[in-house]
Amino acid sequence: MGLNPESRARFNLERASILLLEESPMGMSILVQILIGFGARTLHRCESVAEAKDAIAKVEVDLIICDALGAGGEGYDFIEWLRRSRIEPNCFAPVLLIAGHTPSNAVARARDCGAHFVMAKPLTPIAVLERILWIAREGRRFVECDTYMGPDRRFKNEGVPAGMAGRRRDDLHGEIGQAEDPNMDQEVIDSLMKTRRVEL
Amino acid sequence: MSVKIHTPPVRLAKLLRTPGGLPVAEAVQRAGAGLLSLRKDCLEELKAVLEEAEAIAGRAGETFEADLLAQLYSVVSKPIGASSACGLTSVDTALISLSDLLDYLKGQQRWDANAVAVHLRAFRLLLQTEGAADAAGTQAILAGLRQISQRYARPGAGA
Repeated sequence: MGLNPESRARFNLERASILLLEESPMGMSILVQILIGFGARTLHRCESVAEAKDAIAKVEVDLIICDALGAGGEGYDFIEWLRRSRIEPNCFAPVLLIAGHTPSNAVARARDCGAHFVMAKPLTPIAVLERILWIAREGRRFVECDTYMGPDRRFKNEGVPAGMAGRRRDDLHGEIGQAEDPNMDQEVIDSLMKTRRVEL
Repeated sequence: MSVKIHTPPVRLAKLLRTPGGLPVAEAVQRAGAGLLSLRKDCLEELKAVLEEAEAIAGRAGETFEADLLAQLYSVVSKPIGASSACGLTSVDTALISLSDLLDYLKGQQRWDANAVAVHLRAFRLLLQTEGAADAAGTQAILAGLRQISQRYARPGAGA
């Protein structure tokens, strides 16, 4: 990604409605300072999952920044609840999950809870901004099935892992066979690349 | 199992593109200045965390106690991130190492009072010097802590 902290490119968070879920007062202050610095004005500060659920039911949010909330991982449960809640459009909102320390037995939960991105603390303003801009990208597919609901976890398409059949209709299978038609002639390829004047 | 794949609209993307707003450089600078304003409160909170952690560790016996370990983990893992925000990155590194250690010990149902005590002493030292200690000395302390916690990274190790 690599967002340049000296960049003059502009972004606008003034009209965005942002829900923050963080139980630690200092953690909340850090998030608030970062987001106010970014120009955000509408922050819904929630210190517990109950408060966050209440806010989700009442207001439309454009972005959710949620802490994992300790070793029990209540933050993961909240995101799973959000995705299954069917409260539209909030259930599709971009979610940035932040975690101070992820216990070894919670790594899979963090990956599978339905967050758009999991970010390890400590947070720096440039890293948070980079992630917000990344998760806000349009065209991210959403997957809904019995075991998972959330953004597509496939970041790049490198094909089905070796030895596996693939689970999607558009997964390509089998070995690449011989070409059915002769290769294109190099002259034809060159002519396709050649710049031409177009008259409209 | 039925799978539905769709592309919901992302309102945030449109909002980010609306005219006005801030340049990245200015936003990052403003956010950084806001974080610096938290430094005093942050130090106070870290001192309270240290005292609480020392009190919990002081109650520990010779053997593994699940509740006590969970309590200590909860106390020391919660402020991770706060120290760096107020310029004490080394304290965060020490807290992450201690949280790793406690996580490994929990998984192996073991207790190592010395390893925990070394981390807490380092936490106190780093907090007292408030990052003023020489960089090489700080790095040596942190490397030592990582060595201690990583001894327990694999089950059966650290004995």
